[in-house]
Formats: sequence, structure tokens, C-alpha cells
Amino acid sequence: MVLVTSVRDYINRMLHDISGMKVLILDSETVSNVSIVYSQSELLQKEVFLVEMIDSISVSKESMSHLKAVYFVRPTSDNIQKLRYQLANPRFGEHHLFFSNLLKDTQIHILADSDEHEAVQQVQEFYADFVAGDPYHFTLNMPSNHLYMLPAVVDPSGLQRYSDRVVDGIAALFLALKRRPVIRYQRTSDTAKRIAQETAKLMYQHESGLFDFRRTESSPLLLVIDRRDDPVTPLLNQWTYQAMVHELIGLQDNKVDLRAIASLPKDQQEVVLSSEQDAFFKSNMYENFGDIGMNIKRMVDDFQQVAKSNQNIQTVEDMARFVDNYPEYKKMQGNVSKHVTLVTEMSKLVEARKLMLVSQTEQDLACNGGQGAAYEAVTDLLNNESVSDIDRLRLVMLYALRYEKENPVQLMQLFNKLASRSPKYKPGLVQFLLKQAGVEKRTGDLFGNRDLMNIARNMARGLKGVENVYTQHQPLLFQTMESITRGRLRDVDYPFVGDHFQQGRPQEVVIFMVGGTTYEESRSVALQNATNSGIRFILGGTAVLNSKRFLLDLEEAQRIARSGSHMV
Amino acid sequence: MATRNRTLLFRKYRNSLRSVRAPMTDSKSGVGPVIEMASSSLLHPKRSYAPVSTEDPGSSRGGAVTVGLPPDWVDVSEEISVNIQRARTKMAELGKAHAKALMPTFGDGKEDQHQIESLTQEITFLLRKSEKQLQKLSAAGPSEDSNVRKNVQRSLATDLQFLSMELRKKQSTYLKRLRLQKEDGGDLEMNLNGSSSRADDDDFDDILFSEHQMSKIKKSEAISVEREKEIQQVVESVNELAQIMKDLSALVIDQGTIVDRIDYNIQNVASTVEDGLKQLQKAERTQRNGGMVMCASVLVILCFIMIVLLILKEIFL
Repeated sequence: MVLVTSVRDYINRMLHDISGMKVLILDSETVSNVSIVYSQSELLQKEVFLVEMIDSISVSKESMSHLKAVYFVRPTSDNIQKLRYQLANPRFGEHHLFFSNLLKDTQIHILADSDEHEAVQQVQEFYADFVAGDPYHFTLNMPSNHLYMLPAVVDPSGLQRYSDRVVDGIAALFLALKRRPVIRYQRTSDTAKRIAQETAKLMYQHESGLFDFRRTESSPLLLVIDRRDDPVTPLLNQWTYQAMVHELIGLQDNKVDLRAIASLPKDQQEVVLSSEQDAFFKSNMYENFGDIGMNIKRMVDDFQQVAKSNQNIQTVEDMARFVDNYPEYKKMQGNVSKHVTLVTEMSKLVEARKLMLVSQTEQDLACNGGQGAAYEAVTDLLNNESVSDIDRLRLVMLYALRYEKENPVQLMQLFNKLASRSPKYKPGLVQFLLKQAGVEKRTGDLFGNRDLMNIARNMARGLKGVENVYTQHQPLLFQTMESITRGRLRDVDYPFVGDHFQQGRPQEVVIFMVGGTTYEESRSVALQNATNSGIRFILGGTAVLNSKRFLLDLEEAQRIARSGSHMV
Repeated sequence: MATRNRTLLFRKYRNSLRSVRAPMTDSKSGVGPVIEMASSSLLHPKRSYAPVSTEDPGSSRGGAVTVGLPPDWVDVSEEISVNIQRARTKMAELGKAHAKALMPTFGDGKEDQHQIESLTQEITFLLRKSEKQLQKLSAAGPSEDSNVRKNVQRSLATDLQFLSMELRKKQSTYLKRLRLQKEDGGDLEMNLNGSSSRADDDDFDDILFSEHQMSKIKKSEAISVEREKEIQQVVESVNELAQIMKDLSALVIDQGTIVDRIDYNIQNVASTVEDGLKQLQKAERTQRNGGMVMCASVLVILCFIMIVLLILKEIFL
């Protein structure tokens, strides 16, 4: 509940003290922050009768001085300029400015300069600068996510902006939680190191007064890691509800847009999947596809019973009861159709792309051994006509990541076959991936074949057999969390920043993954938190990835790297 | 949950910049304090930041923007919310009256019934009136003002719907409890009659029977008449409620659906404004290209030609 509650508290405080009719003005980023935790009907209860974007406000000329304006925007120079323009010609009765992150003194100066009409009532910093989708998972929705893969020399200003945004997001999170953490980072990643150091500078030097909170027994831990240490998880196909929806259709700010997938009635074209508002989703979001099917069938049966009893109106009491229960009935109906539609569409996609077959091989590549068998399986699927291009690419990538060093001849054959089969394939993409995230670059034991303990564990698991072939993969994050819980996160691999060390085990851990998280990992975190091991984990990233997004980032980075090398 | 208040720093900058900008700064002192009083009365007394009135009047603002006069429809919306508030207080009274009527008393309880009926009627009337007024708030045309109106309408509709549901629930629980009470009393009587009728026998008993029977029949008649009245009431209130709910359901937002998302509403507004603009442009184009305009212009040209011919005829003849 932690993340969602903190953002809601900030918004409540913003609106609570201001009485009368209000207009809430947001920018393109804060609109996601607010929409994901606060609903329109709750805004109406707080007397906010208009919500506008800061861009469109400048265009209109209507004077609405009976409304009080509450601005909630990021303190970017763009927004400051727009505010300047609006303060010079104030349209509203009062102006209350809330910024989602730290303001520079120069920015306050600029605002004060343009406030000739003294229209501004208050200027505050309310640190809700992240998108809190789930209780323990947040994201920053960053657009140019691929920058973390490139060395600093390629686009220094771009990388600086990237790093600044991440540091801002992390700082806002800790200010919202009122904690100052000990910071560790993944040694092998330059971007992670840079971000960790800049965060430490901000929290311990520049704004040390602001971050000087009451010390608890053990400081929380901030661990900054790189996506490239686990490139396998975003490439895999998913079979648990929330992850599957994002992988097959796409989940943005807890909304699903079905318009591209199928032609549906108007009220089912876009739906909301939020664990806060939908009890069925909350209990099923981490369940696998088979179980979801059964649960939905049960829900449909229950609903049909209610519908039948509603149609069976004989006495006046029945009529009265029907009218009383109508809103609940309507809500139930909407919810049932939403889930049925989602599962139906996903089943269609699974069937069309032969994902059951593909995913079995993927899971084998990720979890089990046997290079020869793997080669055979991948070749078969590459030859299979019904397998789509993106799935072929994923299979070859997974094979390459696993058997990078074994049998290079066969690896080359696979590359060639892939290039010949997929016309749109950008040549060299798999090699680029290996350069970024190959076995030399990785710290963690991704395939469980470095550490003796892991090898033994894998063999034991293979002998025991797995419950479900499709969900046997555990993301690397799971191992990292276990190491932290046991206090065995190696200093060599994950050094501390500065001279703040951790005594004993932390009780709160925030893991920030530069490059993006996946819903499979957020599921892992939620399940870990549910075991009540005494440590609370929070996961965040620059974006929430599915395989499409990850591949796009790779392509974009490859394109820039190529053009850069041409220039050099 | 940490926050940081930058208002003081902001004000400091603002004042110093103002004095730099306009060194001969004395404000019109007459207007100053009056404006301050007006705006400070609108402020909530428990503000977390320093209210305006603590600033020394010497440096007060000259061209301050006060909270302006709202448009007319705001009066309608305020009337509706006042009615809703009145309905709420009456509901509380109704709850108390229900509780009182259900308590076992000696005597008739008719006054309690009257009070309950009148309260229920008043509340239903208030809800009906508010709902009719709510329709007045609808506005045409995609402008910012119309969005505000629509949202005010939605918020009031939600309140109204909630109150209607509450009223229905109160009524039904009251009726149920009432029925239980009556049945208990009725059963007791029936049992007594039944046992006494079994004990008697023969003609003497027949006369006695008929008397018992007569009183029994009268009682059951009275009960059925009362039940009919109750059913009638229930039907009426259900009808009214169904009507209100039908009208309101178009306005009330279904929680948890896409319509309840702030970002969806913002996008929709943008797209409806765009659509509206496109429609207007299309309309303008069709009007310009309309056949009417063509005919009219052709006719006018013909008229001119005729006049010219006429003049030429006059000149040459």
C-alpha cells in the first residue's frame, strides 16, 4: 500500500486546504502520477470541477476567476516558462503552485519576477514524482529509455538528462517515505554507478538538511542495478495475468487499450486493470493462465445466477430489491465483461502465434540445460511458418545468451537462418545484445551455472519436476532479494557509495533497475513481501518493459551506436 | 510524507523584485485593506501556510485579482446542494422517527405514522426537485465552462443517487421490521382464537364461533387493507426511485471503469473539442458550397444583367 498511499496523501493534502470550486492543472507526466492513484469521482468529491493540461491552458482565453487553480507539475524549465506566461495574464481567482520535485532558487526567482499581479498564493514542493502502479512497484515512464545502453561519450547531455530524471525520481520516493538510504550499485554498470553517486551527492551533500530524517535502527538500502544483468526476463513470454496482459496487449498506467486488437463495443475498448479498484484482479493478478480461466468461469456462473434471479421478478418486493441492487449489478456486469474480453483476446493471440509451443522452448532455454536439444528445438521453430518474427528473434536471442560460448558454428547458423526468415530483422541485433549483456558483462549468475550451489539447486529442481512448465523461470531479481535477506550481497559485486555502511540487515530495500522492470519481477517482489521475512522490498525502474519495448530500446541504441561509430 | 514550503522565499523575491521594478510603490491604501478582508474571509481558518492578512498593509497589493463573480449556473448548483443538505438532515430525523415508531408503545402510534409519512414525502419531494433542477445544468458546446458544468452535474448526481438509495434502504428496513412486529402480534391473536375455538362445541359454540369468526374476519380485513396500503406506498416509492435512478444513471460515473480515469477524461475533452472544430469547419464549407448560395449569386448576376440591358435599351431607343 505504501507507494499508492503516499501519492494519494500528497494529493489529498493539496486539495484539502483549499475550499471552493477548483481547477487542477497537470503536465504530461504528473497526469499519469495522479490518474493512476486518484479517480475522477474522488476529484469531484473534493470540488475539483475541471482538470486541464498546462499546455492547453495557455491557449484558451476564457477568464474563470470564480475557480481556484491548483497546479501540480514537474519543475522543468518548460513548465516554468508556461507558468510565467499564465501568471502574467492570470485567468483564475487564486493560484496554488505545487511542484513534484525540488525547485532551484533561480526558478523561484523567475516565477516571482513574472507574478506582477500577485496571483500566487503558495508555492510548495510535494514529492509525488513517480507513477505508483502497484503497492510495491513504481516506474518513471521515461521516453528515451535506451540511453542507458550507450557509453557517455555518445550523447553526454542526453545521458545527463536521463540520469537527472532518475535521481529526481529516486529522491522523490525517499522524501515521500521520509527515509535516507545507504546506497549500493552494480559495479559493472557505468550508468548505475553514475546514478548511485549522484543520488548520494544529492542526499548527503546538496540537500542534506532536507533528507535529515529521524534515524531508525537500520537505514534502508537503495540498490541501483542495470537491466542488462538480466536480459532474459524481458524476453520471455508471460503466463501470469498482469504480466501476460502487458506482454501480449500492453498495460500503460494500469490501462489496457484494446482498440488495435479487435473491434469491440465502446465500453470495452479501453479498460482499467487496477488492483486497488478491482477485487477480482487483485486476487488473480499473479495467478497463471489456467487458474485464471477457472476463476473467471466461476465468476461468470455467479453472475449468471444473479442475472437469472433478477429476471425472475414476481412480487413487488422483488421489484424493489432489483431497483435497490441495480448499481451493484451493473458494476458486476461491467467487471465480468471486462475480464472475459481480456482473456478471450489473449487466448486468440496465444492460438494465432502458437505461443504454447514457443514458450515451452523459451522456458527450457532459460532454465534447463542441453545445448544440442536446445539447438534442435530452436531450429524447428525457426522453420515453423506460424511462428511470428518477433518470437523467432526472441528464441535466437535467448539461445545466444545461454550458449554464447558453446558451439559458435551452430550459433552462426542460427543467426543466418534468422536473417533469412525474418525480412524486417535488423542485422546484428543479436550480436549487439551479446555485446551489451553477454556473459562477460553480467555480474549475477543468470543461468545458475556459475555457482556450485546454483548448479546443485538446478539439478535438484530438474529431478523433482516442476509444477508448471510455463512459469518455472525465476527472474535474477529473486536471487538478489534472497542474498539481501541472508545478508550475503557481495561487496565486490555491489559496492557501497561513499563511506556509509550497513550494519546488519536492512528492513526496507528499494531496488531501482536502470533500463526498466518487468511485471514478472514485480510479481516476484510482491510474493517475497507476502512471506513476511522481515524485509520490505520496493521495486522501481525507468519504464515497465515487455519484449516489444525491450527490443525497441535495443534497436534504438544499436542505431545510435552505429551512426556514432560512423562519425568517429 | 515530506514537503517543503517555498512560499516565504517566493514572497521575499516577489517583494524585492517589485520594489526594484517600481520604486515609487505606495499602494492605494483605501482599497488595500478592503480587498484583504474580502479575500481572507474566503480562506479556510485552519490554513497551513501563512494567510494573507498577516502581511503588513503598507506593502499590500494594488492590482490584486480577487475571486470574481461566478456565472449564473453556479446559483442553480448551490441551490441544489442546499436542497441536498436539507434532505440529509431530514433523513436523520426520519431515522429517529422510524426507531421511535418501532418501539413497543401503548396507544395508537398513528402520530408516529403521520410524521414518518410526511417526512418521507418531504424528502422525496426535495430529491425530485433537485433532480429536475439538475437537468438545467446541462450546457451545449465544448468549452471549458461546459466541462465545469458537466462535472458539477456529475458530482451532484452522485450525491442524489446516494441519498435516494439510502432512503430506499431505510424504508425497506423499517417496513420489514414493522411487518415482523405485526406478524408476531397477529400470530399471537390467531393462536388464541384457534385454541379457544377448538375448546368449544355445539350450537352455543356456533354462535360464539360466528362472533369469533366475525372478529377474525374483520381483523384480517383490516390487515389486508393495511397491507394493500403499504404495498401501494412501496410501489409508488419504487416507481419514483426508478425514475430518478434512470435519469441519474446517465450522469453518474461508474467507479472503476475507464470513464472514472482522469487521463481518459482529459483526452476525451481534447478529442471532442477537435471533433467539434472539425464539424464546424465542415459545416462552414458546406454552407459556403451550398446550392443556395450558388442560386442566389446566379440570380443576383442575372438581375444585374437585366438592369444593364434595360438601361441600354433606354439609351438606344
